[in-house]
Amino acid sequence: MSFKKESRSGKVVQNGTSKHFLERGASTNEYFDIAFKVMLLGDSAVGKTCFLVQFKDGAFLAGSFIATVGIDFRNKVVAVDNVKVKLQIWDTAGQERFRSVTHAYYRDAQALLLLYDITSKSSFDNIRAWLTEVHEYAQKDVVIMLLGNKSDMANERVIKREEGEKLAREYGVPFMETSAKTGVNVELAFLAVAKELKHRAVQQPNEPKFKIHDYIESQKEQSSCCRFL
Amino acid sequence: MEADVHNKSEALENDSLAPVDRLRRLRADSPTPGLVEGTEPGAGQDSAMFVHAQSFEDLTADGEQEEEVQEGGDGSERAPEVEKPRSEGEESEETQGQRGEQEREQAEEEEEEEVQSGGGRVKEEDVNSEAWRSHRKHVFVLSEAGKPIYSRYGTEEALSSTMGVMMALVSFVEAGKNIIRSIHAEGYKVVFLRKSPLVLVGVSRTRQSERELTRELLYIYYQIISLLTLTQLNHVFQIKQNYDLRRLLAGTEHLTDNLLRLLDRDPGLLLSAVTCLPLAGSLRDVISSSLQAAKAKSLVFSILLAGSRLVTLVRKKDQYLHHMDLHLLFNLVGSSSTFREGEGWTPVCLPKFNTAGFFHAHISYLEPASDLCLILVSTDLEDFFNLSDCKRRFLERLRRRSAYQALQEALQAPSYPVSQVGIPELRHFVYKSKSSGLYTSPEIPMPYQSEEEQERLMGLYKYLHSRMHHPTRPLRSIYRCAEKENLLALVTSGFELYLCFSPLGTKALAVSAINKLLKWIRKEEDRLFILSPQTY
Repeated sequence: MSFKKESRSGKVVQNGTSKHFLERGASTNEYFDIAFKVMLLGDSAVGKTCFLVQFKDGAFLAGSFIATVGIDFRNKVVAVDNVKVKLQIWDTAGQERFRSVTHAYYRDAQALLLLYDITSKSSFDNIRAWLTEVHEYAQKDVVIMLLGNKSDMANERVIKREEGEKLAREYGVPFMETSAKTGVNVELAFLAVAKELKHRAVQQPNEPKFKIHDYIESQKEQSSCCRFL
Repeated sequence: MEADVHNKSEALENDSLAPVDRLRRLRADSPTPGLVEGTEPGAGQDSAMFVHAQSFEDLTADGEQEEEVQEGGDGSERAPEVEKPRSEGEESEETQGQRGEQEREQAEEEEEEEVQSGGGRVKEEDVNSEAWRSHRKHVFVLSEAGKPIYSRYGTEEALSSTMGVMMALVSFVEAGKNIIRSIHAEGYKVVFLRKSPLVLVGVSRTRQSERELTRELLYIYYQIISLLTLTQLNHVFQIKQNYDLRRLLAGTEHLTDNLLRLLDRDPGLLLSAVTCLPLAGSLRDVISSSLQAAKAKSLVFSILLAGSRLVTLVRKKDQYLHHMDLHLLFNLVGSSSTFREGEGWTPVCLPKFNTAGFFHAHISYLEPASDLCLILVSTDLEDFFNLSDCKRRFLERLRRRSAYQALQEALQAPSYPVSQVGIPELRHFVYKSKSSGLYTSPEIPMPYQSEEEQERLMGLYKYLHSRMHHPTRPLRSIYRCAEKENLLALVTSGFELYLCFSPLGTKALAVSAINKLLKWIRKEEDRLFILSPQTY
């Protein structure tokens, strides 16, 4: 897929070539080459905002749960193979009453991180419903990643990693367990998405095709309880 | 308890209240400048920003509450009496265990001495415990099927039988073709507000009047509407009468909690008014015009806040914001830390504007660490990037005209000490200009800085307010010597004024203070109020 084509379709924003860049790049004064929209999805209280804050600021939002209102938009620039990739991240509210807003912005997203909470069965069960919605509203070629969050809470776990893996295989999406608290696999999730999107957008002719599944398998950390087994 | 009332505002020498020369306006031609609506200090130059609202407007406008109209243009109807046993004509039902008014006020007085419990959500609280019972004000929201929707204290599940009883009471009285409004018993007031498909119940042992409590319940009702719209609310209950509304309201309890805290503490919600960040008039004009220039087709309101103070508000021509809707926006911003970073985008219904539809609000802080929050209210769900660009243009313009730095500096002093006014023994005051819907108030002084004391002071103002706006016997002014302070309140057709003096002050001093204060406010009105509101 050539870059030029993507750019014209308006899905990839390149420095100086797009109206969006001119407006938004100037306000942050941060240099970047390509911009992508990533959306965090999942039930309420699975840790989407914490996941994002861990990635953006390297901190964990301890204390009481504060529900996101509507959707929250933040930027972070990451480097992928010497290319500056700006991730425009939509952090969505998990509550039902915000569905209409989330739906309206699905189709803009190039990647979706779908989170469930390994200590909450209902959040896992709802993943299928989320995926149905995704297929209905999102772009056909959207990058989807399934994430089982709160892997640090091993004692309260109710969803086995194998169950997550099985579901991910069924839908053909990559899967990881993450912890917004300890930071396990958080950066990797975003980086893998950034790499995949960057490779799609600007593929060098002689470069091997990027395989997100393999990349994740080679990079991911297992939850601490299993690491030494 | 000593009380005194003046039927005429003798202290006001009209001539001295003429606007200062630099404000060349017609208001000086008014026969009684400063006293007539539209010419009082703080009145806007052109049209006001807000829907013109009287206190209790909602209760009277909805035509389902008390019969009277207060705020009659001339004060002659107002009864010059105070602190006398009254008949409780307006309590229609179930006035059990009612004692004489005086006796009851005494009892309330005693209660006031007790330590008052602060805010903070104690969800797991045992609803059978003494601590739960002793909260000063409970608020319950339930559906017409008797299903719990919200309780200020304790979990809704634990209270389902209590709420069932509440619904039974409501239904029982309705079966007799009547409406239950309140129950008065042993120092408690139980107030019911029926807003189909919801029922709201307040249980209070404060000395607030029934009307005030009903008005607070109305705020809670509108808070829920602002999250769902009335259309959606009706819809879900039409489809399923015993729907558990908590499902749709998940994650919003803290909004209601915070609103209840604001109702206890913020004079703006009591007075149906908003306060401004003190700012040089010229600087405010620059900010307003910058915001005005950063417009988009779908924009209806642009609001810049500093904490809970208004910096400026630009509105679409012919569209007015209701202060109640603005308070709900304040509450939304103030109780969610999620807007601090990034840019928020959320549907919000402004119930006093339209209960049927959502606006879409772009909410962001100008800087993560700053108190300056910009709310752009749009009609278009898909307009996020446009509004995000409006914000960028606004910021750019502010910086170019070096107003941003000046604004940051003004933020260092978001209020003023009462000593600036130069009236001895004056501790605190609240002044509301009726025509602009804006109020000004100095920072909370030393003796009232703790949460309890602040709420106690507000309680005193609330008491004065309810006396001034009494449904059948409204007052024009009232002077009251309380235990720890002396209070004076005055209402004219142009303004409302509440003053708090140290117990050493005298009545004569208090009366002479009115004029002095009004002159000071007139002198400072440029800084304390938004005199020239802008439209796109």
